[in-house]
Parts: sequence; structure tokens; C-alpha cells
Amino acid sequence: MIELLDNFSQLIVTLLATIGAGFLFFKNRGQAYLLLTCYFGTYTLGILYWTLHFYLFNYTPQVFYVSELAWISGSMFLLTLGYALSTPDERKFRHPAIWLVIIFCVPQLILYLSTGDILFNSLISGLAMAIGWNSARGLLYHKKQKHKQKSKEIFHTVVLLIIFLEHCLWTSSCFWVSDTYTNPYFWFDFLFTASLFALLPATKKAVEA
Amino acid sequence: MTYIENVFVCIAGPILLATFFMGKKYYGVFYFCIAGMGVCLLSAYINTFFARLYDADFISATAQIAPMVEEIMKLMPVLFYLLIFEPKPEKISVAVLIVAISFATFENICYLIENGAAQLSFILVRGFGTGAMHIVCGAIASYGLIYVWQYSWLKISGTFGLLGAAIIFHAIYNLLIAHGSITQYIAYSLPVLTMIIGKVINRIYKSNGVKNGGTANL
Repeated sequence: MIELLDNFSQLIVTLLATIGAGFLFFKNRGQAYLLLTCYFGTYTLGILYWTLHFYLFNYTPQVFYVSELAWISGSMFLLTLGYALSTPDERKFRHPAIWLVIIFCVPQLILYLSTGDILFNSLISGLAMAIGWNSARGLLYHKKQKHKQKSKEIFHTVVLLIIFLEHCLWTSSCFWVSDTYTNPYFWFDFLFTASLFALLPATKKAVEA
Repeated sequence: MTYIENVFVCIAGPILLATFFMGKKYYGVFYFCIAGMGVCLLSAYINTFFARLYDADFISATAQIAPMVEEIMKLMPVLFYLLIFEPKPEKISVAVLIVAISFATFENICYLIENGAAQLSFILVRGFGTGAMHIVCGAIASYGLIYVWQYSWLKISGTFGLLGAAIIFHAIYNLLIAHGSITQYIAYSLPVLTMIIGKVINRIYKSNGVKNGGTANL
């Protein structure tokens, strides 16, 4: 029951975010909005397939992870969005604190590889690391600037939050407690859903800056 | 048992012969037509291989294995065309749609050989349901590829993203069909509805583009 509630809430939120981002793209014709629409769109399709499979057959997909492919596609769009919003100076910026992303992600990747599928986990974790790296670099770069762009800082913070919550989600799924509210997985997923929706206004402000 | 390779030879033969007579200008059309049917044939073999490998049941084979294999296979001739010939954007959509149409046609022929063509209602559902679904998946890929292949930084993520979108649309359609009951009717109407919605969105986008002067920015 909680899993269905979790999936349905995520489906509705991502669907609304897709419509919102699509509307912004139609209004402004910005590439950033197109990438955001594609990110939310592929994510929505992935969660729709997952929810339908669970709702219609009472079990999650067992052979090929079709939904995961949509989420990998979504991550690629998010990575491209981060790259599109960054400046050439930002891309050249280096700071030792950026390595914290790798230090945070790699041990968890080892855990996923030891418990799950090697190819999928390598891909999704690698992409999450690249997105996190890009956003950590962007956040530190904008913090160091004299003329601070608060909106860009918010965008990178939201992206970092998404990556952090994604890892919490994946790690908690490796230690499955139960199908009830006591399982931290669901709480991380609800927070993740909220952070996904926060990405829409954050991107809008970052583009307008 | 359907000997689909024999069916393929039977259909591809006249097309291949026609290619020599029609001249260089039409090589592309015939190439994509044969390629679409060829990848449909190969998809059938690969689907069977994976279904045996994973010991998959009917639902897993139709809702998980088939969409992934078929959409990846459909993209292969187009990717070859994009990478080797670097065509103009308007030619990309024609190539993708011809592959999708010939794929759907060959699949329908094999379906008819196996199940017969006695019931018109079934044939209509097959034609406007599954056939249209392949066209929608092709349209997703073609419209998207035209856009993403204009930007070098968007090529990889864009192509992969479009492939993911096409696979998941195909998978949702197959999932609803596999479930049966009322959901299969939702599935049958899904491709045509998606086509209509896509057409409306495209019209609004174009009219909005004229108002804005068709500019694109970050």
C-alpha cells in the first residue's frame, strides 16, 4: 500500500513538473527548459511503467529493468542541463572540495555492485557522480564570485540534494526493512519527490539570472 | 511455426529488384524499407534468445524484453545513416519513419500468417493499435533526432534519452496489452491518442514560434 502511495505521488509530481517545464519551454523556447522537460518526461514514463507493472501484476519487473533505462536517460538529460547552464570559466574551475562527491559516492557504488546488477549500477552511479561533480563545482564557483548569483547557487544545491537523496534511496533499498511506513526507503523517496519538484523553480530562476 | 526468414526473402526480393531499376535517387527509401524488415526479423531471433536466457514468462517477454530489443534494433540502421552519411535534418525523419513503417508491416504480415485474417475487428486493432504504436515510437525518435543532432553536446544524451522514451512507450503499450481485460483497450487507443496530442502540441508550438519569431535561446 505504502509503495503504491509512494509511486503514485511521485508519478503525479513528476507529471506536473513535466507539464510545468513543457509550458515554460513553449513560452520561452529555451534549451534549458527543453532539457528539463525531457528529464521530467523520461522520469515520469519510467515511474509510470514501474507503477503500472506493480499495480497490474502485483510485482515489480523481474527480467529487464525498463524503468531504469528511462531513469538513466533522465540522468543524462540532467547532466546535459547542468553542463548547458555552466559557463566556460565555471567548467575550468577546480577546488579540492569537489572530490567530496566522489568520496561520498564510490563506497556506495561498491555496495550496489556487490548486491545488484553491475552494468546498470555502474551507469546510474557514474552518471550521478558526474552530475554531482558538475553541481558541486558550480556551487563552489558561484560561492567564490564577488557578484554572487544566488539563483545558480540554489539550482546547484537542489541538484546536489537530488543526488544525495538518490544515494540514500539506493542504499536504503539494499537493506530492505519492510513494506510499511517504518522503512526509511519510503521517507527518502517522499523527500526525493519533493526535491524533484523543487528543481523546476530552481531551474527557472537559474535560466532567468 | 512461422518461417519468418522465408517471409522476409519473399517480401524483400521484389523490393531489392525494384531498387536496381528505380535509380540512385531512391536507394535510400528502399534501403530503409529492407533495413526495417531486416531488423524486425533479427529482433524476433534476439527476443527468443533473451526469453530463453532469462527463462522469461509471457508477460516478462512482451513487456520487458521485446520493447527494449525492438526499439534498439529499429534505431540501428538510422544510427548507421546518421554517423556515416551525416544527412540533413529533414532526411532524418523520413529515414526513421520508413524503418518504423516497414518494421510494423513485416510484424503484421508475420502476425497474419500465424493467426489468419478472418476477423476484421482483430485486424483493425492490430493495424491501428500495434502498427500505430511503432509509428509513434518512430515519430518520437525522428522529431527528437532532428533536434538533438543539430547540437554536438546533445547528441549522446539526446539519442539515448529518445531511445529510452521510445522503449518505455512501447513497454507501457505491451504491458497494458499483456494484462488483458479493459486495460488492453486503453492500450489500443494509446498510440492514436498520442498521435493526436502530438499533432496538437506541434501545431501550438509552431504557431507560438511564429509569434516569437522562432528564436531559441538558453
